[in-house]
Amino acid sequence: MDMRPPPPATQTQGHLLIDDVVKVYDPEGAAVLAVDHCTLEIEPGEICMIVGPSGCGKTTLLNAVAGFHDITSGRILMDGEVLCSTDRPRSTPGPDRIVVFQNGALFPWKSNLENVIFGPVMQGKLGRREALDKGRAMMGDAGLSGVEHNYPGEVSSGMRRRVEIVRALMNDPKVLLLDEPYRALDSLTKSVMHEALLEIYYKNRVTIFFITHDLEEAIFLGHRVAIMTTRPCKPKKILTVDIPHPRDYSVLTSKRFRELIEETNDAVHEEALKAFQAGEKEG
Amino acid sequence: MAATLPVVAEDDAIAVLREATPFGEASPVVLSRIAALARPARYAAGERIYTAGDAADDIFIVASGRADHVFEPEVGAREPLKRVTRGGVFGWAGLLLGQTRRLATVTAVEPTEVLRIDTEALVALLESQPQEGGQVMARFAAMIRREFAVPELLAQVRRLSGPLTEEMSSLSLTMYRLSLWLKSPRPYLMLIGFALFLGIWYLAVEVWKLPRFREMPGLTTVVKEWFSPSPTYGLSLYTEEYYKHIVVSVWRVTQAFFLATVLGVTFGLLLGWSQRFREYVFPVFEMLRPIPILAWVPLAIVMFIATESAVIYLAFLASFYATALNTMLGVQSIDESYIRAASCLGASQKQVFRHVILPGALPFIFTGLQISIGVSWFSLVAAEMVSGQYGLGYVINTSYVMVRYPTIIIGMATLGLVGYTTSALVRLAGDYLMEWRVRELALAER
Ligand SMILES: Nc1ncnc2c1ncn2[C@@H]1O[C@H](COP(=O)(O)OP(=O)(O)OP(=O)(O)O)[C@@H](O)[C@H]1O
Ligand SMILES: [Mg+2]
Repeated sequence: MDMRPPPPATQTQGHLLIDDVVKVYDPEGAAVLAVDHCTLEIEPGEICMIVGPSGCGKTTLLNAVAGFHDITSGRILMDGEVLCSTDRPRSTPGPDRIVVFQNGALFPWKSNLENVIFGPVMQGKLGRREALDKGRAMMGDAGLSGVEHNYPGEVSSGMRRRVEIVRALMNDPKVLLLDEPYRALDSLTKSVMHEALLEIYYKNRVTIFFITHDLEEAIFLGHRVAIMTTRPCKPKKILTVDIPHPRDYSVLTSKRFRELIEETNDAVHEEALKAFQAGEKEG
Repeated sequence: MAATLPVVAEDDAIAVLREATPFGEASPVVLSRIAALARPARYAAGERIYTAGDAADDIFIVASGRADHVFEPEVGAREPLKRVTRGGVFGWAGLLLGQTRRLATVTAVEPTEVLRIDTEALVALLESQPQEGGQVMARFAAMIRREFAVPELLAQVRRLSGPLTEEMSSLSLTMYRLSLWLKSPRPYLMLIGFALFLGIWYLAVEVWKLPRFREMPGLTTVVKEWFSPSPTYGLSLYTEEYYKHIVVSVWRVTQAFFLATVLGVTFGLLLGWSQRFREYVFPVFEMLRPIPILAWVPLAIVMFIATESAVIYLAFLASFYATALNTMLGVQSIDESYIRAASCLGASQKQVFRHVILPGALPFIFTGLQISIGVSWFSLVAAEMVSGQYGLGYVINTSYVMVRYPTIIIGMATLGLVGYTTSALVRLAGDYLMEWRVRELALAER
């Protein structure tokens, strides 16, 4: 199996290396081994999709990259720089690696535009006025003009997701970390969101680390799809999607797409079954 | 093709608009300006008016005839088919957030006359009249949700922008909600409730003279005393004394409430924010909190030589607990992912506090303040009854000692009114500071 990712873009920043990472929750007590010697390399500007059964440890891995919790051993590097390692187990969260959360984390008390300019203004990178201009322009690009002054609670959940991605991109991050951002959406909105995400991506080729349950979503969006084992989590199979970008919805009905689904479906199903049986045993 | 003949005169156009739900409450001036935008059109029976997926340009108001409005299945409307007749409005998709295409197919069933209004022209007109414009949009939203049974997620109308609507702040939203409330049956039910209460009081005491009620001051006696320029027992709307008592009580509550808010919010934020602080302080706090305020009276009098500060201290104490506890809960209720998101976006500890913790805890803080103002009055009156020379609690207590029963009731009723006003003020302040919440609740039509 070819473990080397294809060179997807002319991007030079945003190389992510997860190197032999182990994460044990509650080592003194229950000692849940969530991530087990996981190694994964993501090239600059690549969309890498992470697929795995529920509770396998995907979010755990993402949180380690983002700096929300410690790792037990191993190391994580971005562009050759050590984010965290066995000696310094927690990386510092920062605007170079921005997370878009499973349930969305736009501040409901700020208008969409205020949310979007939050990063640069807090970091003092832009003045308020410049930030507002940039924010308006980026929202316009993402098809969000007209809702700048609405609060997140006033727009549809699909729009909220787009606002959140724009909020992340305002910081010129090297890596976007998306944790099942479209889980709660209906399939119609979801398909629109996929195209919208790709459109945004083609304009700003950042590295994307994207967690999902949905194999079709993974193959449609990703350059590569990492299929994870059930807990403890590590890559079981890495699929290179040889459908060229830019992609649009016609891909979904193409022969190659169907073939790729068939090729991976077994691996995914097998892990899901294992997870289910493990759950039966525990329960 | 649709014939665009001047089938309807301007006056008729206004009459049709007035029958349409969204424009029903618009003023004559706005109506005639909308009518000026309207272009009449006529469709033959069986003629297609537009098809789902077309660009959503005009809004249609039916003047006569009948049309079938059929939603695309994706819209998820509860009733895909809707028949529209005179006063019916369709073609409003262009008013929805992010919607530019028709969501339904509309066919004339009979020869049908309609008024067509360009969506953007209408929006521009509404934007020039932010107050009324906002109401028209709100009525559109309500109509789309109710009459067309479109799911809430989709039925979100555009927000009018423009220099003036930016000022359509929480205060005018509150006013708008007030006007909705006045149009609903609720205020009238409330009035009936009051009338029943007063009626029973009147009948029980003065007409039927029921056993236990006989000794009580009757409604008419109290009202006469209250409104009398020369009251029998010395206290009425016309005496200076009356206002002095009110002012003294209000001033005491204000001081107590202000202190309790400043200290309680600070203390509560610390409790919620710092685990260390919480571990030291919270057990003591929880021990002291259940002690009833009245149990503090002797100690307060010993502690503060001046009665004034003792009374304020007692009113402060209960408020402080309520505010601090709710603020702490507010901080703890904040979703971890907001804090994580802020740290991802490069916010410092201080900025997280200012931009996430504080606004995130605000709904709970205001719940606390609502309780706080209530218990503040409660303990104030208790304290005034024990000590002090002025205030509404003092009035009630001395009137009891001196057998001036109607004055007791005047004191109680005044307390009710003043207490209600202060808590309404607190709620108004909350609405003002939490516009986002007012909007969310307005959307949920609560
Ligand atoms: N703080 C914690 N303490 C102990 N165990 C934990 C903790 N957080 C997560 N776990 C366990 O670690 C495992 C992996 O959790 P994680 O949230 O990473 O899964 P996931 O792959 O993101 O699942 P999902 O697809 O449901 O989001 C789960 O079995 C979970 O129960
Ligand atoms: Mg997860």
